Amino acid sequence: MGTYITRRLLQAIPLLLGISVVSFAILKAVPGGPLAAYESNPNVTDEDLRRLEHTFGLDQPLPVQYLGWLSKFLVGDWGYSFVSHQPVLGLIGERLPNTVTLMGTVFLTVLVLAIPIGVLTAVKQYSWFDHLVTGATFAFLSTPTFWLGLLLIIAFGLQLKLFPLGGMATLGMPFDPIDRLRHLILPVATIALVQLGSHVRYLRASMLETITQDYMRTARAKGLSERSLVVRHALKNAAIPLVTVVALDLPELFVGALVTEQIFGWPGMGRLFWDSATRSDYPVLMGILAVSSALIVFANLLADVVYGYLDPRIRFS
Amino acid sequence: MRRLSIVLAAVGLVAAACGPTTGGPAASSSTAASAAPVRGGTFILALWQEPVTLAPHYRNQTAANVAARVVTEGLARTDTDGNYVPWLAKQIPTTTNGGVKLTSDGKMDVNWELQPGLKWSDGDPVTSADIKFTWQVWMKDPNTISRTGFDQIESIDTPNDTTAVVHYKAIYAPYPLNFSDGLLPKHVLENVPDIGKHDYNRKPIGTGPFKITEFVAGDHITGERNPNYRIAGKPYLDKIIFKSVPSREVAVAQLKAGEINGMWNLLEAQTPDLEKLTDIKMVITPSPSVERIEMNTAKNQDMTDPSSTHPVLGDINVRRALIYATPKQSVIDKLLFGKAKPGTSPVSQGWASPKSLTQESYDPAKAKQLLDQAGWVPGSDGIRSKGGARASLSITTTTGDQTRERVEQILIEEFKNIGVELKIQNQPSSVLLSGSWSAGDPRKRGSFDLVMYASSPGIDPHSVVFQRYYSKNIPSSANGGNGQNYTRFKNADADKAIEEAGATLDLEKRKTAYATALKLLNDAAVINWMYERAGIDATRVNVVGWQGNVWDNITWNTEDWYLKPS
Repeated sequence: MGTYITRRLLQAIPLLLGISVVSFAILKAVPGGPLAAYESNPNVTDEDLRRLEHTFGLDQPLPVQYLGWLSKFLVGDWGYSFVSHQPVLGLIGERLPNTVTLMGTVFLTVLVLAIPIGVLTAVKQYSWFDHLVTGATFAFLSTPTFWLGLLLIIAFGLQLKLFPLGGMATLGMPFDPIDRLRHLILPVATIALVQLGSHVRYLRASMLETITQDYMRTARAKGLSERSLVVRHALKNAAIPLVTVVALDLPELFVGALVTEQIFGWPGMGRLFWDSATRSDYPVLMGILAVSSALIVFANLLADVVYGYLDPRIRFS
Repeated sequence: MRRLSIVLAAVGLVAAACGPTTGGPAASSSTAASAAPVRGGTFILALWQEPVTLAPHYRNQTAANVAARVVTEGLARTDTDGNYVPWLAKQIPTTTNGGVKLTSDGKMDVNWELQPGLKWSDGDPVTSADIKFTWQVWMKDPNTISRTGFDQIESIDTPNDTTAVVHYKAIYAPYPLNFSDGLLPKHVLENVPDIGKHDYNRKPIGTGPFKITEFVAGDHITGERNPNYRIAGKPYLDKIIFKSVPSREVAVAQLKAGEINGMWNLLEAQTPDLEKLTDIKMVITPSPSVERIEMNTAKNQDMTDPSSTHPVLGDINVRRALIYATPKQSVIDKLLFGKAKPGTSPVSQGWASPKSLTQESYDPAKAKQLLDQAGWVPGSDGIRSKGGARASLSITTTTGDQTRERVEQILIEEFKNIGVELKIQNQPSSVLLSGSWSAGDPRKRGSFDLVMYASSPGIDPHSVVFQRYYSKNIPSSANGGNGQNYTRFKNADADKAIEEAGATLDLEKRKTAYATALKLLNDAAVINWMYERAGIDATRVNVVGWQGNVWDNITWNTEDWYLKPS
């Protein structure tokens, strides 16, 4: 196991380097650039633009720009935003807690709801409950988040006035957990409803497969109660594929939700990425892409390791 | 350097002599007069753009200017009538009051006097050393956005704590607003090697009515009453909070719900909905922004040769016909809900605006007649041609802008009607408006027929008029893509007028010179001035003191704002 993990970690290095090269190339291939923001400023002259281009290093050949970024990045200097002139690490650091709050709540909500619903739909296959859940999960799975989010805002924020329309807290008031919760509910619901669908579908399929296995018939023949049969014997095995799915959700905890954060004005990583993308703020974008690609690579490794631990049939070689 | 003895003659600046000595232009605000102002309260102002830095020399977003306006202050500013008025200075220096001296070698000295007893919000005194320091940072920091004006300064002397003598390398007419973005506090930043890393970036120390106490990126910025503010008893508000909202639509919803007190920058299309509400009022202010369609007179090709001639638009009759065929008023009525005015020039507001200038108004019959006379003959498909050149043009604007896309649809119909084919070739604003030769801005490279966008000059229009209509500022591969004269307009008389306007301090002479240049520009029919856009903001009805200012941000007079109990 130890050698397996070491090998995977070593393999991750060229992979991450490759990802950074591709990210950099894609960012640069997007037409336009960070200087576009200055065009509408009547005071900015061509001379100013050329100076800024030089300050930002945009006048250098692409490979030089990339290597310059990489060599600094590796020693912990993630560079400065072109727009706010602030260190990228600081910008990410101040957004991260907000995103973890949002996505952590989503993560827990989805887990707590997905397991009982998934199990029930499988055990009571083709019941009215199963049909209802199946219908609902497909509906939410195929709903774009930006639309669902706006719908929830209109219904619960504007019409019923139950929840605030956006933001993270009521302004001008000291921190209050109830207030934070009220701001969390709509964005969490937006992401959770969509994610819940996929998780329930996974668990249902996996449960259905498990409960028709021979050992289940044997257990039932031995006279075990239906309850312990499902919880102790079926769920344990059926949940293994879900572990993979959940582990792969982990990066989202830190990367955030691009669209939902934008709609609800949640000051998290997703919004930072969005805003930076619209401004071609390369240093910030590269920083976020580096973090997210590393998280995804490690989440994959984690999923594989945990999977092997839970299922002894899997061998690492 | 040009030697200009003429300018030594009597020179008068608008409003120069009559500036109030203390209190700045706020005192002239009419709103404070009515009822007794209410002290206290928190004002929440929604911004649909997130301010990322408030440092005066780094700011490039309007939203950041709106927020920073309550903190950072400069030497002079512009009042609601477009006059230069003193801000931290005692008065606007002019040649008349002896504050501006033209030296015999063609240079210029400007003598700024600070108001006595000014303090930064941390209690330290504001001195002339801060003025000098501001210039030094502006020139030294490689991240400074624009050095315009500051790069014309040779040196600054500070004979005493309240006097700064600014020595310009040459006559620099827009000097009154040179230090208007905000003074930098020397005592805070003197030993800071990189302001980008410093707290000042987000919580600048200023002299304005509020001081920033909280900056939560992406969420809100809080300003609290500055105890050292120079006007006793002001501001009335305890706090002002700038709230980041994801879009204008959300801001409108929050305004309706009463979660916020005011919002900045609405679209015209949002006004009919708000006009129906009795608890919300809108403030509509003319803005210097003019939407235009620029026509390429040189060949439409990458890195165009400016001396080449466009096969269709090279003919002035075609250009004039296109202007005649543009129904500006109906575009304004239908798409902008009447909240704009047909344009006639790039300088629509302020002292330099040539008010009597006109442009061909909508007359499709006249357009057809012009094309007929010029020998453009309609083909079997109704599209005209002449000498093998087909009157088929492309129009480019920014993608995703609904209003502009609808204007294009209208133009396609109208132009087809006079026998000119129009094809849409839109580009993302990050390309079309990149302003960069290397990033492939089609306007710079000359690879367009018609391009539609908006631009606005400052109250002193010189840099814009010079950059955009002076013949040496035609971008080409020969000059490294310098300049913004995108239509490739070249006129010796216009060049001369622009040179004259930049080389004198006499406002009347400058005004006449600009009028001459802009008249020649309109005579050449290279730019179709579509409409002058207004700035639209909205507040709850109990907000008092909120007043638009063409040349300034909506937060220019927050010291006068208060909330009536509702």
